[in-house]
Order: sequence, then structure tokens, then C-alpha cells
Amino acid sequence: MNKKVLIVDDEPHIRMLIEQTLEDLEDEGVELLMAENGEQALQIIEKERPNLVFLDVMMPKMNGMEVCQKVKKELHLTEVYIILLTAKGQEVDRQKGLDMGADKYMTKPFDPDEMLAIAEEIINS
Amino acid sequence: MNQKSNSLWTRALKNVLQKDKESISLLAQSAALLKVDFLVVDATNRVLWGTVSKEHTYSVEIICDSLSLGIFKSTTKAGKYIFDLIKIFLSKEFEKKSIGKEVLSLYREINMIYDLSEMISEKIDTISIAEIALRESSQIIGSTHGLFLMYDPDEDKVTELASFGDNPNSQKNIKDQNEVLKALILRGSAAIVPENRIKDNLPIQHLKAVMYAPLKVKHRTLGMVILGHEEKKEFTAAELKLLTTITLQSASAIESAHLYQKGLKEANDREEAIREIHEVSQKFVPSEFLKSLGKDNITEVRLGDLVEREVTVVFADIREFTAVSEKMSPKENFLFVNAFNNKMGPIIRKNNGFILQYLGDGFMALFPKGSQNAITASVEMQKELHDYNTERKAKSRLPIKVGVGMQNGKLIMGITGDIKRLDAAIISDTVNTAARVEGLSKHYGTSILLTKECKDDLTHPDEFDFRYLGPVQLKGKQNSIDLYECINGDTELLFNHKLNTLSTFNEAMNLFFNKEFAMAAVTFQQIFKMNTDDQTSKLFLNKSAHLITQEIEENWKGVELMNTK
Repeated sequence: MNKKVLIVDDEPHIRMLIEQTLEDLEDEGVELLMAENGEQALQIIEKERPNLVFLDVMMPKMNGMEVCQKVKKELHLTEVYIILLTAKGQEVDRQKGLDMGADKYMTKPFDPDEMLAIAEEIINS
Repeated sequence: MNQKSNSLWTRALKNVLQKDKESISLLAQSAALLKVDFLVVDATNRVLWGTVSKEHTYSVEIICDSLSLGIFKSTTKAGKYIFDLIKIFLSKEFEKKSIGKEVLSLYREINMIYDLSEMISEKIDTISIAEIALRESSQIIGSTHGLFLMYDPDEDKVTELASFGDNPNSQKNIKDQNEVLKALILRGSAAIVPENRIKDNLPIQHLKAVMYAPLKVKHRTLGMVILGHEEKKEFTAAELKLLTTITLQSASAIESAHLYQKGLKEANDREEAIREIHEVSQKFVPSEFLKSLGKDNITEVRLGDLVEREVTVVFADIREFTAVSEKMSPKENFLFVNAFNNKMGPIIRKNNGFILQYLGDGFMALFPKGSQNAITASVEMQKELHDYNTERKAKSRLPIKVGVGMQNGKLIMGITGDIKRLDAAIISDTVNTAARVEGLSKHYGTSILLTKECKDDLTHPDEFDFRYLGPVQLKGKQNSIDLYECINGDTELLFNHKLNTLSTFNEAMNLFFNKEFAMAAVTFQQIFKMNTDDQTSKLFLNKSAHLITQEIEENWKGVELMNTK
């Protein structure tokens, strides 16, 4: 079965940037999925069971924290690796995010090379 | 370049045929409408669409930007329409990918600049800022050499703050090229240096590629950053722009670092000034006084601070100061008092005392550790004075006499005044008494006069010699106090006289208090005759003589009534 990575962000250009960043994964047969809000993300996660989710924190309709909590604490999809994305300077949310069950935390602007390396590592583990 | 666009085209083709739902569905629909079956393989012969079949008779090579991306095959010639459609999707996808790639690389820069400003904003030393700026720029902009130069307008000198790469003689070159570099810096613009001009202008002449950008803050240029490569390469405009962004960030960080250091220096200067004020103020308000209030510093003193202590208060006063000062101009007068205080101050401090107040022709000193210190200091002061008088005598000047009076007891030291004007103050009856005792020393003709409280407070009374002078009742006081004369501060001649006649003197005093005034008078007369400087004996001689003819009350105790203050 194909590995899947879900990118969740309400800003289209950020989705595009992450997609562009993770493009190389597609060559390895990884499928990149997109969602533009929390609700949509939750539906896709339930249906597609992605291996990895890049989840923006600040979003309309159910923010990243809530999505994370639902996935990890209610649906118990612990095998879905969730990386929370938040703007630099809002690192105070870090602990809250980790409490909600997030596996990792990254800040925006992100370092594309670092993001790709992390994604590859998680996908291949 | 070709390599890059090749992979971009390949990916675009893949996306059109396998990823983009819109193009996939349109291609499938068109094929159905045209009743065509088609196959696409990439340049490596990997199937991207359809299945290999011998029925695919129509075949076209997919070429974009002169690159062969693969082969399109179809069952009929009508496949040409599908092929054209693929090419349209392909060029759109390629465009999209190119923009995406460009945006990502911009984003990478933003992230780098973000990190850079975060890193350098934490730094307050300019060298760290310069090092980080060089390290980061060399990472993003391929370069083997870098120089971070600053221009100091005060010294009209360009100096290296940081560098990387092998720059032989760079220090010397910078010095030699000072004018050229200064001109480049002051011009304040960024540029890529043409290879043939590197040799003339820059301190890194062995390099094949060089560019530089100014360190600009508002309208000033602080310096410049030069990046270079030892191999032939062309720096791009984008790289120059990136370097400029980095130098802008660095310049403002350096400016803040300068401001911070300036602020720090100012704070230090202020602290130093406060410390100096404190030192000066210590001369006005003795630190012992502050310490006794539990304060380390004058700035901590608040109105109403006070402490109660048992101390010995000493008043010293230049006798007949008016007589001495009449012969002097005001300035001479002032210098004289200063000379006097300069002699006395060290003696007081040496004996654990401090001068709380200067009183024009005298001073008031406190001895927190008690009367032994006070009396030792008083004797030393008198002896110092004798030496001083010897000097004065040699210059035909009048000798100075100083009366010392002291009292031991509790006093309250505190800060009084109002919110605008604070002063160290002593509130105590002990001070009043000490001042009165000093006044009495003139009356009794003694050089050092002390109360019984003081004498009782002495830890080693045997070190000194005393004459008991009887009780005295001060004006406005209920109780009388007993007075003693310490004779050790007298001139050698007078001291020897007083010491030799001590028992006779005590005998005379006994006669006096026993109301045997005639006998007392005779005895005092004997003593006085031996040394007419013994004013005390003369006083008691006169008193005894006076009392012989007086009617004495039953309860007469010989208390001297002082009606003046």
C-alpha cells in the first residue's frame, strides 16, 4: 500500500510550498494529500490513514490542536505521525501541542531541507 | 541548467499523466470521444499512461525545450489531438513547477534570513555578528573567501572584523588599500566585481570571483562584506541581492550592539559618577555614621532613619579663636581652621572615632567604641597641638589652645531635615552635656575635661592621670555631674607639675568640700605658686578664698552652679 503524507494548511501558498518541498517523496511512490481546514483534515485522516500529517495550528474551523486531539485521543490513531506547524514566536504552544498528542513540532518559516529530511525519515521508518 | 529543467519537465509530464486529476480526467474523456487508445512512456521507457500494445501504430516523440521527454503512441492518427492536449497541460504544469521551485528557493532564503536575524539579534558583540553573517552567507552563496570590514570614521581606518578562507596578507592589504576600501564603503552600494578589476581594488586579489555589499544603517555605511571564490564563477544578481539582505540585517544588528555597548558604557559612567559622589559625600557624612544606621551608601538614607547607640561625644574648640583670628584675613582664617582640622581629623579616625560636624573653630566627634578611644585621641590631639605650637612659636605666632570636653551616654543618630534637604543629626542630651563640658574646660582652665560617666567608661583608666574637680550643675539641669580633669594632654612642664602635686591637690579638694576653706585656699595657693599655669588650682584658690567670708549653708556640697550656657 502506498505511503501517504497529508498537508494541512488554510493558506494555499504554504500548502504549495510544502508540496514542492516534499515532491521528491512522490518519486518513491509516496502520495501527497492536501486539506485546507481542520474538518477536511479530519475526514481525510479517518479515510486515508496517512503515515504523516503536517498540521498547521492556526486554522479556521477546528484548529490544528483540536484535530490532533481528536485523532490521537478520540480516534486513537496513534500510528499517524503528526507534526504541528506554527509561526515562529508562538512556540509557547509547543507544550500544549505535545500534550494534545502531537509527535513533533516545527516552526514557520520552515527550513525546506530539514522538513524533507524529517518526512523521509518518518516515511521510511 | 539543462539538468534542472530536464528533471522539472520529467516531473511535469508525470504530474499531468498521473497526479493532476483534472488533466487525467480530461485526457481520458478525450481519448474515449476520439475512440483512441494511447500510451506514454518517459525517457527511461517507463510507462506513464496506458499499456504497451502492438496496436499503437502512431508514434510521436515528446520534445520540450529541445529535450526528449519520452514517446507518445496511439492507435490512430487522431491521437495527435491527445498529444497536443498533453503538451498544453505539460507546459502549464512546467510553468507551475518552475514558479513553485522559484518560490521555494525564495522561501528557503526567507527562512535563512529569519534564522540569521534570530541568531544575530541575540548577539551583543560585533565580532560574533560578523562571524555569523559570514558563515551564513557562505553557506547559501557558494564562496570560498569572505571579509567583514568596518570603517571607523574617527580614526579614518578600515579594519577586519571577521573573515573566512585563506587571505594571505589580508591585514596588510587592508591597510594598504585603506583609501580604496574606504571609498567603496562610503559609496554604500553593492556590486559584483568584474574579474579583470579584482586585482586593482580589493584585498583578496588572488580570487577569481568577487562581490561585495555595504553594511548600511539609515544613511550611514558602517562597513562592507566581501565574498569571493577562488575558482572562476559568476556571482548572480540573486546572490548579490541575498548578500545585500544579509548585510542589511548585520548592519542593524551591529548598530544595536554599538548602541547597547554605548548604553552600557553610559550606565557604567553613571555608576562611576554615583560612586564618586558617594565618596565625596562620605567626607561630609562619615561612613561610620551611615553604617551605624545600617546603610552602606548615602543613597540608601531616608528621612527618619535612626539608631540609638551608646557613644562618647567629644567637643574640641580653639580657645580665644577670635583673638587668634583677628590678626588674620578671612582667607587666612579659613586656611588656619583647615590646617587645624587636617591635623586633628586623622587622630580621631585612628582612634575609631569620626568627626560628625565641624563647628567653625572646632568640631564634634563621636567615638562609638567608648571613652578609652575618646580620651586617647584627646591626649594625642593636645600633644599634636604642642608640636604645632612649637612650629608657630618659631614663626613668632601665637600658640593655639584647644579645650576638649567629653561625655559618654546614649544618643540617637538619625537623618533629619525635610524631603529636599537631609542632614545627619544627633539628638541627645549626651551631646548637650559634652558641649557644656567643653565650655566648662575654659572655666576650669583644663585642656581635657570629662564627666564621671566618661571616666567610669574607661577600660584602662590607669593609663591616664586625673584630678577630681567636683560636681557641677549645668543651667537648666536637675542633677549635678562630677567632673574630672585629664592632665596627660598638658604640656610636659604642666603635666609634671600636676602629677607631682596630685596628692596635695586631692587633699586641697577634700578640705574644700569639707568646708575648710582657709586650709584649702592655702593648699591651692601652694600648688598654684609652683606653676602659675595651673589655672584650676587658681580657680579653686579664688573660690576657697571667697567662701571663707561667706555664710555656708548646711547642705552645701560644693556644687558649682553654672548660670551660663
